[in-house]
Amino acid sequence: MRKKDKSAADGQLMLAKRPLSQRLAKDLILNWRLYVLLLPGLISLVLFKLFPVGGMVIAFQNYSAFLGIRGSEWVGLDNFVRMFQDPYMLTLVKNTVILAILSVICVFPFPVIFSLFLNEVRFRKVKSSVQSVSFLPYFISSAVMVSIMYTILSPTSGIVNVIITKLGGTPTNFMARPEWFRPIYIFLQIWQTLGYNAVIYMAGISSINQELYEAAEVDGCGRWGKMIHVTLPGISTSVITMLIISIGNIFTVDTDRILLLYNASNAATSDVIQSYVYRIAFQSLGFPDYSYGTAVNIVKSLMAFILVIIANKLADKYAETRLF
Amino acid sequence: MTAKNRRTLPFDIINTSILVIVALVCIVPFLYIFFISISDGLYLSSGEVTFFPKGVNLEAYKEVITNPRFNIGTGFRNSAIYTVLGTIIAVVFTYLTAYVLTRPRVKFRFAIMTLFVITWVFEAGIIPQYIAYSSLGFIDNIWVMIIPGAINTQYLIITKAYLEGVPKELEEAAIVDGANDFTIVSRIFVPVTKPIIATIALFNAVSIWNQYLIPQMFLHNSSLKTIQQVLANVIVGATESPFANTMVNGVWLNQENMKAAAIFLAMLPIVCIYPFVQKYFKKGILIGSVKG
Repeated sequence: MRKKDKSAADGQLMLAKRPLSQRLAKDLILNWRLYVLLLPGLISLVLFKLFPVGGMVIAFQNYSAFLGIRGSEWVGLDNFVRMFQDPYMLTLVKNTVILAILSVICVFPFPVIFSLFLNEVRFRKVKSSVQSVSFLPYFISSAVMVSIMYTILSPTSGIVNVIITKLGGTPTNFMARPEWFRPIYIFLQIWQTLGYNAVIYMAGISSINQELYEAAEVDGCGRWGKMIHVTLPGISTSVITMLIISIGNIFTVDTDRILLLYNASNAATSDVIQSYVYRIAFQSLGFPDYSYGTAVNIVKSLMAFILVIIANKLADKYAETRLF
Repeated sequence: MTAKNRRTLPFDIINTSILVIVALVCIVPFLYIFFISISDGLYLSSGEVTFFPKGVNLEAYKEVITNPRFNIGTGFRNSAIYTVLGTIIAVVFTYLTAYVLTRPRVKFRFAIMTLFVITWVFEAGIIPQYIAYSSLGFIDNIWVMIIPGAINTQYLIITKAYLEGVPKELEEAAIVDGANDFTIVSRIFVPVTKPIIATIALFNAVSIWNQYLIPQMFLHNSSLKTIQQVLANVIVGATESPFANTMVNGVWLNQENMKAAAIFLAMLPIVCIYPFVQKYFKKGILIGSVKG
């Protein structure tokens, strides 16, 4: 691509010999329409994407909303030192990592298995309806999903507890129990992403060369044999890519879902870095400790960033696809 | 395939049944909520509604929408306004930026794209975002739902990948005819790239409608709140449910009726458009996953 640019610029060789400011001015005059079209994008980038990144400097300050970034006192690495001395940080990191690892291990296999078997369904109409229906929850908001869980799991009127009571058990307030937080979170994750991932795998399956199946048949492969020896290898690239992506996103828990599922009673497992930072900023009783919250968030973002970059490199190397 | 394979085997029946059950598990909770919302509250409290609705009526919807105490009508209206405005702005901003960033004439286009990607992968975090946006005047300002999120880097990448596939010949012919960038975008690119416009419009619409964190951070005035916030307030956050059992127009309304109606309203627009637009969603995901 870069080479093409050069050749395109060859026509402007005359311009290239003038000083930079003149060349820029000429470029602006020549291509002013393009730059007008770029304005919304440029403004968005500077104000809404770069400006917040600049705001991260408050992690090195004792930020006060009254004094602003310029007026606040600089404290160097104090907030980070405090963070590493804070025993609660260990709980937060533990909760975040356990939740993330569980969501890779428990969630990842479902759509692969689902797609393999969905591909074996003969009845076209059934196949496409099952796929459409399973894809729908991906588009439903976390607020709705969590509200549905509250309704179904309500200790007094929820259908689950009604059934438990009828069977002679005692009703459980699932939403307030720390041991139930992870299963509920994971269940929602599977429910919401099954169809989404299946779309990717089904597309991979549909691009497998039909001749491979015929060859497998000649070799005496049955239905299972074809599924294991043709279909699964056929989507292995997508599977590896999706696995790498999900490992790369290990620190990116669904913030909306966490905030909605979190409550003081289940905090022992549901308090993760994101919910903690959110509470510091918006639910603290005194003046919110913005600087400390930002420091915690920076460490999380850095780890997440490194993981994503590694994942992207790995995906590029082993699966020949990239996220960006 | 040989004739032998065309027979319906026990495997087919079992496999199909299991997958149908999986699909049902995906959708039954939504149906269950819907059935509760349209059932008569009297049957609901006496435990006569197990799954299918009984005493079908729409009073719960009328009550939750019109009773100002719940704020649900306002929330629904606000979300609708934010979604429509936000989608238009998002599509225009994303499309134009993607177009410019595919032009070889534009200097710094790699640098600009890199900055978009870096700020996407490396999150600033909610506190710096809050400080930055509030200094720009976005607190209790409806534009916070419309402007700052207009360019989602993921959709920008998808759009850019799609626009790169537009044949150069189309454009060259137009340039010979004296077209400039404004006319190239509006007369050439837009007509041949309608599928990607539909796709990013839908993705943006869904994400604006579903937003919870951003409005929760910036919109505190109850007249500006979105349906998702209101829903979370009345169901998740409520220590005491604002709904009370009442009698309206001769129909007994149970608070479970009203909760269910509120939940269903918050997903209604998506459920309504989903059957007609799911092919665009699929397309968007596949462009995003194959090329990036």
